[in-house]
Amino acid sequence: MVCPEWNQVNKDDYRGIWVYVEHFNGKISEGSLQLIGKAKELAAKLGVDVTAIMVGKDLDKLLMEPIYYGADKVIYVDDDRLSVYLPHLYAASVVELANKYKPEIILFAATKRGRELAPYVANTLRSGITADCTALDVDPKTRDLDQVRPTYGGNILAHIRTPTRRPQLASVRPNVFPTPPRDESRKGELVKEKLSKLPEPRGRYLGSKSITEEDESGLPPVEKSDIVVVAGKGVNGVEGVKLLTDLAKLLGGTIGGTKKVTDAGWLPTSRQIGQTGRTVRPALYIGMGVSGAIQHVFGMNESKIIVAVNSDPNAPIFNYVDYGVVGDYKQVTEALLELLRERKKQ
Amino acid sequence: LTIVVPVKAAVPNITAVRLDPNTHNLVREGVPLMINPYDRNAVELALRIKDRFGGKVVTISMAPPNGKDFLESTIGMGVDEGILITDRVFAGADTLATSHAIAKSIAKLYPNFNLIIMGEETTDSTTAHMPAQVASWLEVPFVYYAIDAEPNIKDGTVRVSRYLEDEGLVEEFIYNMPIIMSVYRNSNPPRDISLNRKIMAKVNGLVKVLTNKELGLNPDCVGLKGSPTIVAKIEDAKPLPRKKQIFQGDPKEGAKWLLENLVKEEVIR
Ligand SMILES: Cc1cc2nc3c(=O)[nH]c(=O)nc-3n(C[C@H](O)[C@H](O)[C@H](O)COP(=O)(O)OP(=O)(O)OC[C@H]3O[C@@H](n4cnc5c(N)ncnc54)[C@H](O)[C@@H]3O)c2cc1C
Ligand SMILES: Cc1cc2nc3c(=O)[nH]c(=O)nc-3n(C[C@H](O)[C@H](O)[C@H](O)COP(=O)(O)OP(=O)(O)OC[C@H]3O[C@@H](n4cnc5c(N)ncnc54)[C@H](O)[C@@H]3O)c2cc1C
Repeated sequence: MVCPEWNQVNKDDYRGIWVYVEHFNGKISEGSLQLIGKAKELAAKLGVDVTAIMVGKDLDKLLMEPIYYGADKVIYVDDDRLSVYLPHLYAASVVELANKYKPEIILFAATKRGRELAPYVANTLRSGITADCTALDVDPKTRDLDQVRPTYGGNILAHIRTPTRRPQLASVRPNVFPTPPRDESRKGELVKEKLSKLPEPRGRYLGSKSITEEDESGLPPVEKSDIVVVAGKGVNGVEGVKLLTDLAKLLGGTIGGTKKVTDAGWLPTSRQIGQTGRTVRPALYIGMGVSGAIQHVFGMNESKIIVAVNSDPNAPIFNYVDYGVVGDYKQVTEALLELLRERKKQ
Repeated sequence: LTIVVPVKAAVPNITAVRLDPNTHNLVREGVPLMINPYDRNAVELALRIKDRFGGKVVTISMAPPNGKDFLESTIGMGVDEGILITDRVFAGADTLATSHAIAKSIAKLYPNFNLIIMGEETTDSTTAHMPAQVASWLEVPFVYYAIDAEPNIKDGTVRVSRYLEDEGLVEEFIYNMPIIMSVYRNSNPPRDISLNRKIMAKVNGLVKVLTNKELGLNPDCVGLKGSPTIVAKIEDAKPLPRKKQIFQGDPKEGAKWLLENLVKEEVIR
């Protein structure tokens, strides 16, 4: 029996797919736009619309963006009380809208802010949520969302469902799905909403400061580059990382690392790739001295071409490569640098 | 000042753990439970606040009966008392049902709590759902990724700074207590466990055990029954199809071979 303390849910009352569109300082988070692309696929199978949800203050300039990326509709709240981001107020806003419109699915980008917001929304609606999904599908018969997440350290995939409750909620890390093309000729509906049940703020935002971690490479963030050279523990120190940074520069790419490398302080945490770091999907991933632990593979599996150099022919990374070289990363990298420099000269 | 720190008994090396082929559950037999490592950072922040402003720090965990030991080790760090919530009706809980049991226990035992401080996420299931869900049950504000918190006992407020790793941003808030926060996992490195204090915790019975007899939650609203999510199916994660061409031999030849292939693939120009 369903817990009698919860509202009773008639599944047929719930229709449509929502994407919570996160924004901060006048910028929309890319992870939200990527979810619009996925939501469109799911919506086609269910025969429903994709609605973007935006809450905040002075959103005018941003409102059409979700539509340019594929949403059919934007429901938004423009409210003085939401001029700065307080987690419980933003979350409560989404709850109030969901109670009114009854979507069957709500998707969140699992950014740091998204991970904070989504579980509060789900719980207050007394529904389930699956974190960090790597694949999503729908069953057109039951209209259940098939929420796939790697578990038990990543070697097993769990298919999680929320068969008795609505809406069904899920979060997805940025870059798990590609960004759909932006098309300014797309048209869509803008619906302005007012909130009546916003809780007391009970708090105030005092301000923020950026702290850029020490990052000597001067190269772009790992998510922003089409070529990512990754240092593993096998590069044995900052000298090795420096050599790979040279390679990254010559290739016009950027440098990243495994958790062991960022934990050791050879690279800043913002360059960690994997389950507890960033997800990348570049055209070319080059792993040097990377063993291929599943938690790392998680963050790079979707790369177009995967290359690895490892001295151990049995390293797990070779199960994931298109091209692998068994050997010392340093010798191979130095040879590569030489070849690339020659090529540049020609 | 009353600070409650919910902590989880996590399965240590998750990749080494086996699954029961029939039930899909973790085989926990013979697996020693340990405290979720990031929860020690949460305990640390709580203790730092206590060191400066006084008060009481309590750890609380929903875990199997052998969870008593790791609660005693939090007392070894300086925590005042521990609560173990354990009952078969709580088994099979998803994050909503887990947070339900934790929130209701806190409301019953420590209705006048000022702060609830939690870990950023667990290393064995990594959802980071619980802090916001406990906040939802208790209807109090919440903020994730705290690196520091400074209560003002006089006016009942707390200043929190938190770090958003993906934006490289430190934000500052001031809230009226009570609030709930989770602690950024790379902050507040935990202090050592004093073995003497841990033994003292065992001898003096500082960890109390609570079952649903005392809590009185509706069995339909906890555990597997009170969980909206179900695991419908599990499967082995298969690597995506890859070319898997491997070169073994002279490194210079290897580099040449690589470059040729990458040019052919048009990923290097
Ligand atoms: C909850 C959890 C989350 C995690 N999240 C992440 C994550 O987000 N990202 C991540 O990366 N890891 C993560 N990890 C850690 C992960 O399990 C591995 O420990 C880590 O990825 C290994 O890093 P590595 O490949 O650099 O080092 P190692 O596993 O130590 O591998 C080093 C490799 O270098 C090779 N080597 C040595 N010398 C040379 C040489 N001269 N030339 C070429 N090869 C050489 C060795 O053969 C070996 O294969 C996580 C772990 C847990 C438990
Ligand atoms: C591999 C795997 C994946 C899962 N995925 C999901 C999912 O997507 N959705 C879902 O609803 N459930 C999921 N579950 C179930 C979920 O792990 C349990 O409900 C668990 O009890 C709480 O979630 P967590 O470990 O992810 O905690 P998190 O939310 O990551 O933990 C954050 C903090 O909450 C506190 N905390 C967590 N557990 C306890 C506890 N038992 N007692 C006291 N304090 C605690 C700690 O302070 C901890 O640092 C999953 C379980 C597994 C094994």
